[in-house]
Amino acid sequence: MKVRVNEDMCEGHGKCQAAAPGVFRLRDDDVSEVIVDEVPAADVEKVERAIRLCPRQAIAWVKPA
Amino acid sequence: MPGALPLTLDQIDLFDPTPFEMGEAHALFTYLRNNKPVFWNEGPENLVGTWNLTKFEDVVFVSRQPETFISSTGITQMKLRMPEPEGLFGDTSGNGKMLITMDPPRHVRLRRLVNKGFTPRAVAAMEAHIREITTEILDGIADRRSCDFVLEVSSQLPLAVICGMMGLEKKDWPLMFELTNKVLGAGDPEYQTDVPEEQRGSREAANMTGAMGFMQMFSFFGQQLQKRRVDPENDLISLLCGSEVDGEALTDEEILWFCFLLILAGNETTRNGISAGLITLCQNPAERERLQKDLSLMPSAVEEILRYTSPVTHMAREATRDVEIRGQLIRAGERVTMWYPSVNRDEDIFPDSQRFDITRTPNDHLAFGIGEHFCLGAGFARLELRVMFEELFRRFPDIDMDGPAERLRSTFIGGIKHLPVRYTPKG
Ligand code: HEM
Ligand code: SF4
Repeated sequence: MKVRVNEDMCEGHGKCQAAAPGVFRLRDDDVSEVIVDEVPAADVEKVERAIRLCPRQAIAWVKPA
Repeated sequence: MPGALPLTLDQIDLFDPTPFEMGEAHALFTYLRNNKPVFWNEGPENLVGTWNLTKFEDVVFVSRQPETFISSTGITQMKLRMPEPEGLFGDTSGNGKMLITMDPPRHVRLRRLVNKGFTPRAVAAMEAHIREITTEILDGIADRRSCDFVLEVSSQLPLAVICGMMGLEKKDWPLMFELTNKVLGAGDPEYQTDVPEEQRGSREAANMTGAMGFMQMFSFFGQQLQKRRVDPENDLISLLCGSEVDGEALTDEEILWFCFLLILAGNETTRNGISAGLITLCQNPAERERLQKDLSLMPSAVEEILRYTSPVTHMAREATRDVEIRGQLIRAGERVTMWYPSVNRDEDIFPDSQRFDITRTPNDHLAFGIGEHFCLGAGFARLELRVMFEELFRRFPDIDMDGPAERLRSTFIGGIKHLPVRYTPKG
């Protein structure tokens, strides 16, 4: 599964990086970046948590085409 | 105590500010969460009714769908059944004109003009400055043994911070304080100073007070704007003057509404967070002692203060299509009101939810809302609360309440108007 951060919404609160450090990285411009192509199975639950916690609701799974 | 009152649904009226003024609203919310979490409240004769949401997940559900639950028809429960004819000043509701009353897609475009000034990094860079202001405020009360904590302390820090960001001169700050009270406290007789005494407390007095505050605010910011059009400064108003959305510069009207929102949101809410925080700490001496022994607990204590006191009481939305919430059909055009003090004590989310626990983890409260309209100033509010309590307890470790707090008569803002405190002076 792939996950995406909406750069228009993200305001750098960093909850995603705290919840799933292997998946998200907060860049110097205060926007979060997804650093993996596919989310490893072990991180899926952490990403779910990040989606729930993101105050801007900027994170979403990419629906398979 | 919460839940102990004998209650039936038809006794509950969330349009009535009295339980809020008395600090008794939690009993109603506990009852609703457990008996009627999606509760229809018919409006008084002049206002439309709303669905009242008291459960955490339902408020997240609504906040997540800004196109289905819109803000542009008003964000408080006060929606008139019959729109009033536009008065001398045009439409004073601000609906659709401010960030907080605007819907996608324009909303996020406008928000992006300013949000870089509010990110965690930008906020952290202001800490030293905020500590300096705090020190100055506390020095101002240090030679006495008592004061009104609201007038002299809790209102002064957020006021200085937001006025500073907007580039307003210090001589104008007291006016901003006064006008904020008039606009957001219009329904409270204490702020109805433009109305003859015998008429205070009436609906007309509230309308009049709000309109006066509004008019004075706009004329003040109109002058500020003209100054910056000629002579730009390094402040938020000047930034807005030079900004475009979709290739078009913001109009004067749009900038004025932005100023209006920032000054209100920036100085009223945080003030109440600080005041209610001190009250809560005084009423929970064991937690207070734990905090004062180890000030490094402050960040989590601040989160708990925000959860427990929820300074913004509600936000409202309007449904654009039929949608079910917890099995209840909400029809297109009907309104929903999200009650933050209630969702932040939802038993399904926060174990032992009525307990004030400064190390509660996790503590993912909704005091700042969530999603599209998530509080722009959350970082500043958190920092102001933390620095204030750090410096306050360093200087006045024995500060205590010296009489009851006076609360604002409002269902929208959990306001504290006055809070007498005493402490050992610092020579
Ligand atoms: C303890 C203090 C504060 C609390 C409890 C608070 C709470 C809130 C809440 C509940 C919302 C609506 C969220 C939603 O609809 O999901 C909001 C929005 C907003 N707040 Fe705050 N706030 C506080 C402090 C501040 C400060 C200090 C500022 C400015 C410096 C500020 C500026 C704003 C703005 C501009 C919005 C509208 C955002 C939008 O619609 O995009 N707030 N706030
Ligand atoms: S939690 Fe949300 S807003 Fe914060 S950095 Fe991550 S994606 Fe951005």
